[in-house]
Amino acid sequence: MAYKPQYGPGTSVVAENRRKQMNPNQKLEKVRSVTDEDIVLILGHRAPGSAYPTAHPPLAEQQEPDCPMRKLVKPTEGAKAGDRVRYIQFADSMFNAPSQPYQRTYTEMYRFRGIDPGTLSGRQIVECRERDLEKYSKELIETEMFDPALVGIRGATVHGHSLRLAEDGMMFDMLQRNVLGDDGIVKYVKNQIGEPLDRAVAVGKPMDQKWLKAHATIYHSLVGTAYRDDTEYIEYVQRIHSLRTKYGFMPKEE
Amino acid sequence: MTNAAFPQLRIVPVRMLKPETAERLLNMLADVAGIRRMMIHGPGLPKVVPYGPARGSPNPHSDRKAIRVADAEIALRVQVGMVILEVEDASVIEEVRSLCDGFFVEFPYLLQEGRFMKTAPTLVDYAKYGPDADTSLIGLTDPRNGESPVVIRTKQ
Repeated sequence: MAYKPQYGPGTSVVAENRRKQMNPNQKLEKVRSVTDEDIVLILGHRAPGSAYPTAHPPLAEQQEPDCPMRKLVKPTEGAKAGDRVRYIQFADSMFNAPSQPYQRTYTEMYRFRGIDPGTLSGRQIVECRERDLEKYSKELIETEMFDPALVGIRGATVHGHSLRLAEDGMMFDMLQRNVLGDDGIVKYVKNQIGEPLDRAVAVGKPMDQKWLKAHATIYHSLVGTAYRDDTEYIEYVQRIHSLRTKYGFMPKEE
Repeated sequence: MTNAAFPQLRIVPVRMLKPETAERLLNMLADVAGIRRMMIHGPGLPKVVPYGPARGSPNPHSDRKAIRVADAEIALRVQVGMVILEVEDASVIEEVRSLCDGFFVEFPYLLQEGRFMKTAPTLVDYAKYGPDADTSLIGLTDPRNGESPVVIRTKQ
C-alpha cells in the first residue's frame, strides 16, 4: 500500500489548518497580491530590475561530473543559473498569526524544493537560491500564511512575537519596518533588515479577528482555540512523550 | 530604592500603549496625590539599529517621541507596556483603580499589587552612583544609560 502522509493529529480547526498548510495537494487561498518588484524591495538583497548576481557559472556552462545523483535530482531554476543563496525571515505573533515557525518549516519542506529552513521559537528563516526565494516569498506573502499585522518580515531584530500587540493591533517591531496607515493598509517602509525603502510597499489590510481565529495554526487559550480542547492532539503528544521517556531507560526484553 | 512600608502596584494594559495614550494615562495619574514614584516599562526603541547588517544606521520610529506629563517633558525611549507605581498607602491604590477602570475602555487592563522595584542597589548602581546615592532614585532608571529620572511637580 502506498504511503499516505497524515501530516498531523488533531480534530480542532488549528490542527486542520496545520494539515492544510502542510499538504502540497491543497492549494493555499490567495488573500492579497504583491508585485514582484515589491517583494524584491522588502527582501533587500538586490536592486529591483538588476541582474541576479551569481555564485558560480550556470550549470549548463560547467563540466558536471558523471554522477547518478545529479541525473536523478533536477536542479531548481536558481541552482541552474548559479544564483547566490539568500534568505527571508518571518516573525509570527503568538496572538493567532496564521503560521508559526515550526509550521512554516514543515510547510516549506513539503511544498518547496532546494531550501534550507532554520527554525527558532519566534522566527523562522528560509534560505535558498535568489530567484527561487523570490518565487517562494511571493507565495508565502500572498497566501493565507501571512497577515500584515501579525507576521513580520524581519531579517534582524525580530523581537516581538511573544509581546502584547500595540493598540492598533500591530505586532511590536523595534525597527518599525511596517506601519499601519490611516487608510487601514499596512505598508513596509523599511526592508527586512531595517534599511529605509525609497517608496513604501503596501501589503494589504490586516485580517479581522474572525478570519485569524479560523486560520490560526497556534493554540492559544485566551485569543483562539485552547490546546486542551483538542483531545486527540493531546493524546498523540502524550503518547510520543511517554514513548521517548521510556526509551530513555533503554528497556530490554529479558 | 524600595521601602517596604510603601505599597507598589503596576498597571498592565493588554495592549501596548501609543505615546498619546500613555500621555493621557500619565497625566491622569499625575493628578493623583500620594504617588511617590512612577516607572514606565516596556520594550526599547533604540535610536540606531543595534545589530544586524544595518547596525549603526538611524532607526526612525513614530512611537519614540517626547510626551508632556504635568510640567515635565519625558522623552520616551520605550513602547509603554506597563506603568509601575509606588504609592503612599493602600487608599491610593483604590483611587488609581477607579481611575483606570474609567480610562481603559477599548481594551482591558490588569492592576497588580506586589513588589516591582529594586530593593537594593546592584553592583552597577554602586559603580554609577557611589555609596551615598539618593536611594529614592535607585531603580527608577537604567544605570547603564546616562538619563536621569524626571521629576514631575504637580499643584498639590
